Amino acid sequence: MAYAFDFSSVLEYREALVDGTLKTLGLTAIGAVFGLAIGILGAVSRAWKLAPFDRIFAVYVELIRNTPFLVQLFFIFFGLPSLGVQINEWQAAILAMVINLGAYSTEIIRAGIEATPKGQIEAAQSLAMTRAQLFRHVVLPPALLKVWPSLCSQVVIVMLGSSVCSQIAAEELTFAANFIQSRNFRAFETYFVVTGMYFLLALAVRQVMIQAGQRLIARRAK
Amino acid sequence: MALVHIDALHKHFGSNHVLKGIDLDIEEGQVIALIGRSGSGKSTLLRTINGLESFDDGCIEVDGERIHPHETDLRALRQKVGMVFQQFNLFPHLTAGQNVMLATRVVKKMPEQEAIDLAKAMLLKVGLQDKFDSYPDQLSGGQQQRVAIARALAMQPRVLLCDEITSALDPELVNEVLAVVKNLAAEGITLIMVTHEMRFAREVGDKLVFMYQGRIHEAGDPQELFANPQTPELASFIGSIN
Amino acid sequence: MNDISTWDIARNLLDGALWTIGLSLTAFILGGLAGLVVLFARIAKSPLPRRLAQGYIEIFQGTPLLMQLFIIFFGGSLIGLEISPWIAAALGLTLFTSAYLGEIWRGCVEAVSKGQWEASASLAMTHVEQMRHVILPQALRIAIAPTVGFSVQVVKGTAVTSIIGFVELTKTGSMLANATYQPFLVFGLVALGYFALCYPLSAYSRILERKIHGSRAH
Repeated sequence: MAYAFDFSSVLEYREALVDGTLKTLGLTAIGAVFGLAIGILGAVSRAWKLAPFDRIFAVYVELIRNTPFLVQLFFIFFGLPSLGVQINEWQAAILAMVINLGAYSTEIIRAGIEATPKGQIEAAQSLAMTRAQLFRHVVLPPALLKVWPSLCSQVVIVMLGSSVCSQIAAEELTFAANFIQSRNFRAFETYFVVTGMYFLLALAVRQVMIQAGQRLIARRAK
Repeated sequence: MALVHIDALHKHFGSNHVLKGIDLDIEEGQVIALIGRSGSGKSTLLRTINGLESFDDGCIEVDGERIHPHETDLRALRQKVGMVFQQFNLFPHLTAGQNVMLATRVVKKMPEQEAIDLAKAMLLKVGLQDKFDSYPDQLSGGQQQRVAIARALAMQPRVLLCDEITSALDPELVNEVLAVVKNLAAEGITLIMVTHEMRFAREVGDKLVFMYQGRIHEAGDPQELFANPQTPELASFIGSIN
Repeated sequence: MNDISTWDIARNLLDGALWTIGLSLTAFILGGLAGLVVLFARIAKSPLPRRLAQGYIEIFQGTPLLMQLFIIFFGGSLIGLEISPWIAAALGLTLFTSAYLGEIWRGCVEAVSKGQWEASASLAMTHVEQMRHVILPQALRIAIAPTVGFSVQVVKGTAVTSIIGFVELTKTGSMLANATYQPFLVFGLVALGYFALCYPLSAYSRILERKIHGSRAH
């Protein structure tokens, strides 16, 4: 008995697909902005050994990088309410994304900061810059520029990883796929199409981020 | 018949015409010094002789082994042409002795003991008989380059190509390498070297080839050319070096 | 309602962790073997295998692991194979691992300097001989640290297989959290279990990396 593929039954639900895509992108965007902000703070604390924050960030980075995102998500969504913290699925998903990306970008940005040539720091110090000025104008822009490709990759990885947020009923793209296949009974076709959509999203997000990085950071770094 | 025969050789890098019809004959036992400014095509010419660079037109023949443009099977040619590089390029995971033995074992299928004996003889020739078991990073730059020479010699090539072999060395290490090359020349090994060591070229070279903008601009006896350059370009080049 | 003791929770989680370890080892070993195939295709001289390997890598790196598992799981039943969660999980993670390791190893091969290729070529070695005696021994050395580092991603990746119903550490945790109404404790222990598996691998990979940077090349 030959199986007849039927992709049109997936496209009937294009509204759900578009909605899920937008939510996945929104989740990624929020995760990226706040995650990178945490990453910068963490990287400075780690690279410049600002006690006690350097220790705190070191523990945080190790905890996050050595546990699965899905478990972090479950811990936040199911665990926190039992401590009396009320949290809905979107808050949990966003929090998990930010925390996860924050840890990875701390390490990535730290590597960039630590690669700053010593001569540049000495030159800035000889110009009587304060530590904050030094960081803001001399160290950070070239460091971010250098590690920007790695940060872009990490954001893409986190976006693809966000597909497990469907498990706490956050209605992003994978949730949409689960919903559609429960209606049209075309699981293979549905997941095939949605996988293709993720693939295109990954390409698009990377492109946009690389372009944006060149515009924003490169101009300041020059 | 010349040992190396180069005929109407042309090469482009994209739109850049880097070799514009090179004709050159090299007799057995000659020492050729290739000189010229960077970008004159001298290194490219050297690298075409063992196929590290392809070429677009013309032909190269080494000891009866003829290669044509875009040739891909270069093994026979490379067994006749040895090469020593500016950056030594020793294999860092192998000892000096293993560096020298590798190709004789793998390519020539030489029995192990014979390969060891040969490697020892080659290291002796470059004055490093006691470094057989040293790794490259335990050797000075000059010693590494001498091992690289021994490695090339172990294949018993008909011609040895030297691509600026002293340029990456600290000044005090240059002479030990040049002394080895000088001995090789005295033994009658055919050498083609790209070099910036003008005094060495004059003393040891049998023939000086001055490259200018992808052509052989002037060639002949080194003593004569240095004393009496025929073109203003060579005169200015010699002036700029000294 | 609390007739499941903390000890029972821990014992059940340990059982789940054994399945996590088993799946990780399976995926890492089979994925490593398949990754070698991907590597050799990716660095082949002819363009066709290179393109195919590149496409393979891009697909697995550019889509969610969860989707890959769903497609295997539902694709199997489509062609009439009743695929168990274990088979789907092992197959999915193996493919995922092979793509990443193939790409990591390609980077290691390319990190060997051009001069090594030129020197061995000028000694009349064939492509295979160059690979075997000069390039791969050096690439292997570079590859150890990132390979161990990637094993952490494999262990963490196994958590996603809980979603297709494979009962490993995370799935066991979900079931226990439902049964005990102690999600904070249970998922805390689950996280601790992963940490105990992953942290030594991360730390070891860092030590290896430092060793390579700080030491000589043999």
